[in-house]
Amino acid sequence: MVMIFWWVTALLLLMGLAVWAITFWNRRAMRRSPVVVANSSYLDRLPSFVRAQRTARVLRAAQVGIAVIGVVAAAVLSGRIATERIETPDFATRDIVLCLDVSGSMYEYDTEILETFSEMVDGFEGERVALSIFNSTSRTVFPLTNDYELIQRELQEGAEAIDFDEFGYRLGSRSYDEDKVRRYVDFVDGTRGIPDEASVVPDGLASCGQLFDQAEQDRSRSIIFATDNEVNGDPIFTLQEAVDGVTARDIDLYTFFPGAYECGPECLEELQTTTEDNDGELYQSSDPDAIPSIINDIQRTQAVAMGSTPTVVRTDHPTVGFVLTLLSLVGILVLGWRSR
Amino acid sequence: MATSLLTRVKARVDLHTSNRARGLIQGRGRSMFKGSGEDFDDLKYYQPGDKISDIDWKATARSGEPLIRQFNEERVRHLSIVADTSSSMSATAADGTSKREAMILAAGMICFLAQKNGDLVGLVGGDEQRPIQLPSRSSDGHLELLLRSIQQATTTASGASDSAWLLERAFRVTSRSTLMTIITDEAHPDVEDFSLLRRLTTRHDVMMVRIADADPLQRESLDHDVVDVDNPREVASLARSSKRVARDVEAYRRARREGISEMMDRLHISHLLTQGETTVVDDMIAMLRAREYRHGPG
Repeated sequence: MVMIFWWVTALLLLMGLAVWAITFWNRRAMRRSPVVVANSSYLDRLPSFVRAQRTARVLRAAQVGIAVIGVVAAAVLSGRIATERIETPDFATRDIVLCLDVSGSMYEYDTEILETFSEMVDGFEGERVALSIFNSTSRTVFPLTNDYELIQRELQEGAEAIDFDEFGYRLGSRSYDEDKVRRYVDFVDGTRGIPDEASVVPDGLASCGQLFDQAEQDRSRSIIFATDNEVNGDPIFTLQEAVDGVTARDIDLYTFFPGAYECGPECLEELQTTTEDNDGELYQSSDPDAIPSIINDIQRTQAVAMGSTPTVVRTDHPTVGFVLTLLSLVGILVLGWRSR
Repeated sequence: MATSLLTRVKARVDLHTSNRARGLIQGRGRSMFKGSGEDFDDLKYYQPGDKISDIDWKATARSGEPLIRQFNEERVRHLSIVADTSSSMSATAADGTSKREAMILAAGMICFLAQKNGDLVGLVGGDEQRPIQLPSRSSDGHLELLLRSIQQATTTASGASDSAWLLERAFRVTSRSTLMTIITDEAHPDVEDFSLLRRLTTRHDVMMVRIADADPLQRESLDHDVVDVDNPREVASLARSSKRVARDVEAYRRARREGISEMMDRLHISHLLTQGETTVVDDMIAMLRAREYRHGPG
């Protein structure tokens, strides 16, 4: 909420105060010579007189109150209260694929990414989002779409479902109710197509790359790729091949690495070199709470890459001020007429 | 200061008096003070309001009707003016003029009559803090001083009305029997002053001139504020223009007027309620004529 012409508001309020002050100091002078009467103390004993005086006092208080409301409302209305939103128009042509490793070690980061994105969807206008999850095999939760209602619902449901400590559950150190377990199983269903294998990262990334359609259109394409790169199985592609394939289709790769789990530094090194060799960006943080700011970073990087300038879009909210001004004007007229 | 108050009053009285009233003042001026005195004049039938002590019991026994002895007054008579110089007398009268001017006119008329007859006039007024008292004198200068004292004592800064004190004071300082003219306003004397007034009537022949107050609502001039001289509170236009309030105010004032009138009648005090400067002379002439009939042969 900002006030675009706040100085107009301040000016009007100051003028209102000035007018009030002038009339206040001159209120005696404005009266004409009074009629002096005597022996009218009995008036205070007449119930009708006391009632009329009280009514007059209430009316006057109401008049002052309404006048104050009217002045304030008119001043606020003139100040143009508006909400500001920063928009990057070219972003509307973006296609974003969320490519998440759902192996047991990643669940906290996946939850955070999904939640952050579900909040961002509110500001999307034309962007398309897809969600693909993988473990030993890959599952497309939803393909590229701009059905934001669906995206939001799926992302929220996914965020809740994936918030599940599978290792802890198996070891018995964490317990979940049946419903929660079922939702988790439903969500990751199809990502364990190959028994005894897990986190086949290169194949997962390669299948994420397949999700982009409309190849003939000039759109910005990006993959947000979250993995710890601990391959536990027999991939068809190497990571290098998968990243090359993605790059060949003119897709920007934003990799998120939460830190090594069982694997040594070579997992990070491989991820870093392959990502950066192909003009991608790698972000790393072992703190799930850092994800929103990392996604903001990605947005900014994209804005720079696309050369689009963010613009401030202001939306006026005149309704309340307008209605209050109108009502107080009507009130002043009615009361003024009444006490004529 | 160009003309004296007495001259102005004379001018007003001359202006207001028609030929019938002129007769009262000039030709039979003395007769209106007929009543008490040393020289036996006549016997007349007893009328309610006459003093019981004046009844001539022997004559009554002879005739079978109550008769009272009537005396011509002494050549020099004593008049006294009891003026309510409180702040409320500086307010507006019912006809829109000043109550003070009406009071000066009423007092001036007494002075005017006294001057014609060479009578002595004294003054009692003021309030507890600043009592005013002038002895009985008959000179023009004294009469002028008397009117000026009333005029100067009556301001908005004067004390609030205290009719009980004034009546008590009038009784204490005027030991000689006088024709006493009390000048006050619509709301006075209070009904509670009954016994004080009755005590005054035992010694004096009392006349009461009351000047009506302006309507405290002033519905016709809402542009002007109404301020009570003793109770300066703001009266909202809403209350002033309300029909219901106007009705209640009228009812209250009528009840107060009737209460005081009834008290006066019970005490057999000649009294009048005048609207202000414009009517006070005519009303006083009417009252004096009525008194003349009361004491007169018919």
